[in-house]
Amino acid sequence: MARLIRTEKEVEGRFEEVWVVVEEDPLEQWPAGPREIVGRPATRKSGPERVRGEVRFTADLKLPGMLQAVVLRSPYAHARVKRIDLAPALALPGVRAAIGPGEAEGLVDEAGYSGAAVAAVAADTFRQARAAIDAIEIEWEELEVVLDADEAVRREQFTADPRHYERGDVDKALAGADVVVEATFRTQSVLHNSMETHQAICEWTGDVLNVYISTQFIWGVRDAVASTLEMPPDKVRVVCEFMGGGFGSKNGPDEYTFVAAELAKRTGRPVRCALTRREEHTAAGNRNATIQRLRAGARSDGTIVALEGEFTNALGWSGWNVSTEGPMKMLYDCENVRTVTYGAKINTPPMKAFRAPGFVEGTFGLECLVDELAAKLDMDPLELRRRNYAATNEGTPISSKELEECYRMAEPHWERRHEVRSRSDAVWKHGVGMASQIWYGGGGPPSYAWVRVGSDGRASVITAMQDIGTGTRTAMAQIAAEELRLPLDRVDVVLGDSARGPYASISAGSSTLPSMGPAVRAAAADAREQIEDIAEQRGMPRDAPVHEVVDLLEDAQILGKGARGPNPTGMSVLTFGVHVVEVAVDVETGEVVVERVAAIHDVGRIVNPLGASSQVEGGVIQGIGHTLSEDRLLDPETGRVLTSTLDSYRMPTIADVPEIVCEFVDKPDTHLTNLGSKGLGEPPIVPIAAAIANAIRDATGADVRELPISREEMLRALESAKERGRHGAPAAV
Amino acid sequence: MELLRPSNLSELDGGVFLHGGTEVVPLLQDGLLSAETLVDVRGVVPRGVAGNVIGAGTTLGELEVEPGIPDALREACRLAASPQLRNMSSLGGNLLQATRCWYWRLGYDCRLHGGDRCHAREGEHREHAIFANDFCASAHPSDVAAALVALGGRLRTNRRELAVEELYRLPDEGDRRTTTLEDGELILEVELPAVEASVYLKAMDRKRWSFPQVGVAVASVAGETRIALAGVAPIPWRIDGIETLDTATPLPRTEWKLPLTRALVKRALTALG
Repeated sequence: MARLIRTEKEVEGRFEEVWVVVEEDPLEQWPAGPREIVGRPATRKSGPERVRGEVRFTADLKLPGMLQAVVLRSPYAHARVKRIDLAPALALPGVRAAIGPGEAEGLVDEAGYSGAAVAAVAADTFRQARAAIDAIEIEWEELEVVLDADEAVRREQFTADPRHYERGDVDKALAGADVVVEATFRTQSVLHNSMETHQAICEWTGDVLNVYISTQFIWGVRDAVASTLEMPPDKVRVVCEFMGGGFGSKNGPDEYTFVAAELAKRTGRPVRCALTRREEHTAAGNRNATIQRLRAGARSDGTIVALEGEFTNALGWSGWNVSTEGPMKMLYDCENVRTVTYGAKINTPPMKAFRAPGFVEGTFGLECLVDELAAKLDMDPLELRRRNYAATNEGTPISSKELEECYRMAEPHWERRHEVRSRSDAVWKHGVGMASQIWYGGGGPPSYAWVRVGSDGRASVITAMQDIGTGTRTAMAQIAAEELRLPLDRVDVVLGDSARGPYASISAGSSTLPSMGPAVRAAAADAREQIEDIAEQRGMPRDAPVHEVVDLLEDAQILGKGARGPNPTGMSVLTFGVHVVEVAVDVETGEVVVERVAAIHDVGRIVNPLGASSQVEGGVIQGIGHTLSEDRLLDPETGRVLTSTLDSYRMPTIADVPEIVCEFVDKPDTHLTNLGSKGLGEPPIVPIAAAIANAIRDATGADVRELPISREEMLRALESAKERGRHGAPAAV
Repeated sequence: MELLRPSNLSELDGGVFLHGGTEVVPLLQDGLLSAETLVDVRGVVPRGVAGNVIGAGTTLGELEVEPGIPDALREACRLAASPQLRNMSSLGGNLLQATRCWYWRLGYDCRLHGGDRCHAREGEHREHAIFANDFCASAHPSDVAAALVALGGRLRTNRRELAVEELYRLPDEGDRRTTTLEDGELILEVELPAVEASVYLKAMDRKRWSFPQVGVAVASVAGETRIALAGVAPIPWRIDGIETLDTATPLPRTEWKLPLTRALVKRALTALG
């Protein structure tokens, strides 16, 4: 029976109180361990079609009569439009419509960053639209530019009020600590760089707006478009069948969708608005830079007695004040913690959620600090982490926590450090480092699925969710096949269209599998029970093979429906893990090579071990890029993005990828849904930077506290370690 | 815009020369280069290796697997760009690459574009020059150019012969160009002297597909040791020996290149034997 409950909903570490209608979920979890299909590796549904180029991404769609839109963006980091004249653009060949500030959501007359959208043009071809953009006459009034986050904090220029947190008495604990470490850590802005750039095609059919869009949240786009355009939500249809990456940057419609919708309305034609790679590097969002001033105090036995942090999120012109302090509050059992988190509003491109926002940055600072503490205590870093193990989440019970098991599984990798270090010579220094991972990933209601079984013995899972490239189709098919006792190749998953299926969760915050998987299983179970009833009526055993039963159906169909049940009340649902990284550092040239990564994660039950390993490998590789080479640079004077192309913004290539060993605890969370699975999209990117930095310290004695660890940063850290050595100071100060 | 495809050198008459297109096409797209006429010179520039003469139309991809050329040149080709780019780009075109300075590439009104300031000097210059960076702090991106300068290569154009080193000039107030090539002049061949041994070492911020942070080419030619660097000055930069590095004038954020260059030069000289 459906029940209306007031519950706390979490996405990407952001909490809000919401009313949710939930349905009871009476299904028992399957026992732990691999089943017939669930828990066994399955190759990607639609994999061959992808390789053959047969699947259609938004970028592949060409609607009849479709126009191309191009957006005029501010060259200034802060400026007001004094005068704009679209007429010269409209006079050019092929141009069908032009709109300016205020004529579509997201077109502004005060640009707060270089790249802010101001006007847009639709033309027959992209080239014509671009020429028309150049023809728009515009006069700017330049305004004061603030690019420095510390300066913004001094001016109290914030996107939201600073967030203060305190438990216990930090000052007293620090005064009584045997050892105190203190350091400032900095992380840089990095770009999502989805292979498919942000884009939408809008087409009006009657009073229905069809939005074809590369998105992580079909229903979120539907609701945002409907409310902005003051339309009934069901008059907005959102389609995303295949999707080329989002990493948190495609959770909403953004200005390109509203530009396409408005231009489509004015021209009566479908309009595509697609960002170029350079726009992607300037106006599609980024992981914000941070400054973290941290302190930790411990007793000589390794008990951490105090943690203190001042976190500045350099958010840009807009963005939410991410929980960079989260790991400091949650990872260790420490009685005295005090944090303040500033969301600096500056004239840089705005932050957008990026794969575990806040926790990636905060884990770098905290887990490096913990290793500096271990060095000062002369204690094994793994032992120090175990000694401060948190059994609860700030007093709240955790639905399942297998971090201790992760540490146990990490031991063989950690033990390799003696052998790894012994490979060092005068030039190449080898070392091993680790870092722990904590993050959310429990998902939640509502989410729904239907399962249809026909007389051909095939089943379709129908739900209006999106597969953002993570293997969602495959995992959902596995769950349904397991429950229906059908072979995997008899199950299809129909998704990607808000008009063709029930509401489904956002694919962000590591929530797709934990939100949708239980709904799919419930729908499949509903169908299976109906099939069993029919079998019984025909005098067959209830567990008769499905194809023998449905053979009788002719045109009749079995329709099952299922919903995601509630989350456990009074419990935190969290994911955990540990990475053990081996590096080699050339101490003369500052070259850092990541040689091996062991990634061990606790995310409850693993549905598809092959897909799960792919997720971990992807997270590790993306994290290596963030740690070593990626850096979104701005001109310090004008605030313009300098690294607007892929030759200057350097992501790792396959040559940079080390050996990656993926291991999972694979133990169902017995409190969480009928599946016991948590999400894995974000966890693998959380600890990698700190683990690399800690391995560098192990190899060289140098403290790297700034990302990326470029040769410049590495050589600086080596030089300052050498200085320290000359002065006989301890390893970590 | 028109495209010409001459089959004979005598047909050359102005226009912008195009070979692999890996540099010219992006520059045209970005409006950093304009052309009424594009001249596809693949029909007139020699391609292939004959003894110690290399056609300027030979691709880097062909050279990286060519056993008959000095090690430094082969290695410089192998470590440049990506396989796709190396399969398109010609030796001659590579020598004429423009800087990767982001200010220049974004069309800032900098000195190389005829303006009156170097934005990099006061701005973001962590990838820029440590030598000859007073007027313009850009860094020359060509691995191959540094290798050919160290090897003492000579160029034959449709008008003259010159040392590879003489192809380059530092930009100044009166003339902002970084090469001495005249309008309508086309590089046809590279001739190499007898080289006893040579080495090319390159520092990148990822393992592949990166312009040199620092590239070091060293060669033994007729008993002389020649050293040339990429990524440290607006043009390929010769140094007499490791002690020349003491005369570098790094900017605040290019100081890191100095110890790096020192280490690579030492290694290259050791490897040269």
